[in-house]
Amino acid sequence: MTGGAAVRTTHRTESEGDAAVRVTGLRKSFPGKGGRVEALRGVDLRVAAGRIYGFLGPNGAGKTTTLRILTTLLSADSGEALVAGVDVRRHPAAVRRRIGYVSQLGGADREATGRENLLLQGRLYGMSSTDTKRRGGELIELLDLGGFSHRIVRSYSGGQRRRLEVALGIMHRPEVLFLDEPTLGLDPQNRAHLWEQLRGLRDAGTTILLTTHYLDEADQLSERVAIIDNGQVVAEGTPEELKQRYPAEVIITPRPGAGELGSLIANLERDPLVAAAHLEGTTIRVTVPDPTAGLAAVFDRLRAGGVGVQRVSLQEPSLDDVFLHETGRSLRDAGGPSAVEAA
Amino acid sequence: MSFLLQTALLSRRRLLETLRQPIWVFMGLSVPLLYLALFAPLLTSLAGGPGFPRGGVLDVFVPGILALMAFGAGMGAGWIVIAELDTGVIERLRVTPASRLALVLGTVVRDVITFAVPAVIVVCVALPFGFHAHWAGVALLVVLMALLTAACSAGSAALGITLKQIGSLAAVITGLQLPLTLLSGVLLPLSLGPGWLQGLGHANPMYYAVEAARQLAAGRLATGTVALGFGVTAAAALLAIWWSTRAYRRAMA
Repeated sequence: MTGGAAVRTTHRTESEGDAAVRVTGLRKSFPGKGGRVEALRGVDLRVAAGRIYGFLGPNGAGKTTTLRILTTLLSADSGEALVAGVDVRRHPAAVRRRIGYVSQLGGADREATGRENLLLQGRLYGMSSTDTKRRGGELIELLDLGGFSHRIVRSYSGGQRRRLEVALGIMHRPEVLFLDEPTLGLDPQNRAHLWEQLRGLRDAGTTILLTTHYLDEADQLSERVAIIDNGQVVAEGTPEELKQRYPAEVIITPRPGAGELGSLIANLERDPLVAAAHLEGTTIRVTVPDPTAGLAAVFDRLRAGGVGVQRVSLQEPSLDDVFLHETGRSLRDAGGPSAVEAA
Repeated sequence: MSFLLQTALLSRRRLLETLRQPIWVFMGLSVPLLYLALFAPLLTSLAGGPGFPRGGVLDVFVPGILALMAFGAGMGAGWIVIAELDTGVIERLRVTPASRLALVLGTVVRDVITFAVPAVIVVCVALPFGFHAHWAGVALLVVLMALLTAACSAGSAALGITLKQIGSLAAVITGLQLPLTLLSGVLLPLSLGPGWLQGLGHANPMYYAVEAARQLAAGRLATGTVALGFGVTAAAALLAIWWSTRAYRRAMA
């Protein structure tokens, strides 16, 4: 076992700089029906301190397994994971003191009140009775639990319980907070509310690593995103960077009776700034790798061809497009256990 | 120090949970009292016969009922553990730095208390009906049965974490319940039965606890049977607590 005193001075590795989480070559397999199922096939990650990092992928891609390894619940078959500079395998107790974890299931004690949950959590992390009470009051205020914190958790709505569970995860002021699908099952208003709280925590210096299979959550909340599929990180970067790797589309609706569109499309396809152009019903869809230059080129061609235009719009790629390009599937279709088995 | 504090905090949480479900407190008490009221009278004609040396049937019957209570108070732990696997409570607690042993003992301490309080009440109720209490013996008897409760509680929790399904747990525990209780002679001493039945009893750890309990109730404290009863029950409790702690260390919903 890892003795506290021996660990305390040695666990931080100076060379880690400002990485709150650093993962290299993480592998994990589980026994399955037809032999072992590889859940993680060499996951690499680096999460900068003080950021919100999104871990995006379909069900069964390996998000939760990665999180469980990082939170000391599960041990990896091979590979290295440092959380807050501490090796997860060698010093799990030291990691536990530095992290908070809100699992998909939540984990609030259903038969206790919200306040009792918070107070016990603080004490289990070694906080003093006074500090626990003060911090509990602070979080009841911060996450707006005041109206129901004295009630038994079993009677809470989904959104109320989620907020309590997030409060439980940050009770001891962790350096790194792990959230597994934090907004699963929440209505839009509660999601927006929780996003706001998470941004506030980030601003106060907490590093947040969250898994999600909601694209807008990854896009709007995270400063960087890793897309995981079949136990491997297939793309990593800021949402903007990832989207810029893929072409945008210019959608043109010509004026009725604008005349011959065939030659316009042929001309567009010849343009070096255009990747593809085709007619779809009454609209022309033009694929442009560089949206700015491409849009200008499209207008030039329209003017040269004398084609009157009713409407032009630019559709930039979404994270779903990124996912589709990287994995060959749409994120929305790629759920379920088949995602693990398809290799 | 922090280990003791954690155990105290986790036991308190469990006790609060029990107090909020007063129906269980009531049920825990009603079963032994019903046995005393509706089953013990059947035994009065056996007074003075084989297996009932001192004539007072309750002196033989009450220790067995206490063993049944200990079994019942402990074996419920697995159900709670499975509910907590399903709601993520165990994962949350496992991510805290709390001692895994404290996580196990929180439930064990609660179960011991929910055994001991009604046990004392049952002893008091039995007194006017002819239970001759030897006070030191009764005190040791409650301690012995508390050890049995601890063994059942930790064992049931470990089974719950391992099996993960309420259905499987219920099948295993009800499957164990009858052989364990019948082969320990909780209702009637096994010494009334044929040799093969007593032989089977010797393979049952609970048998030694019940045999020792009857001697303690009779005031025979310094016997080999009593020592053996304490030895076997304490070993079972330690083994179950070790198993449960190991299961908590690895628990996964």
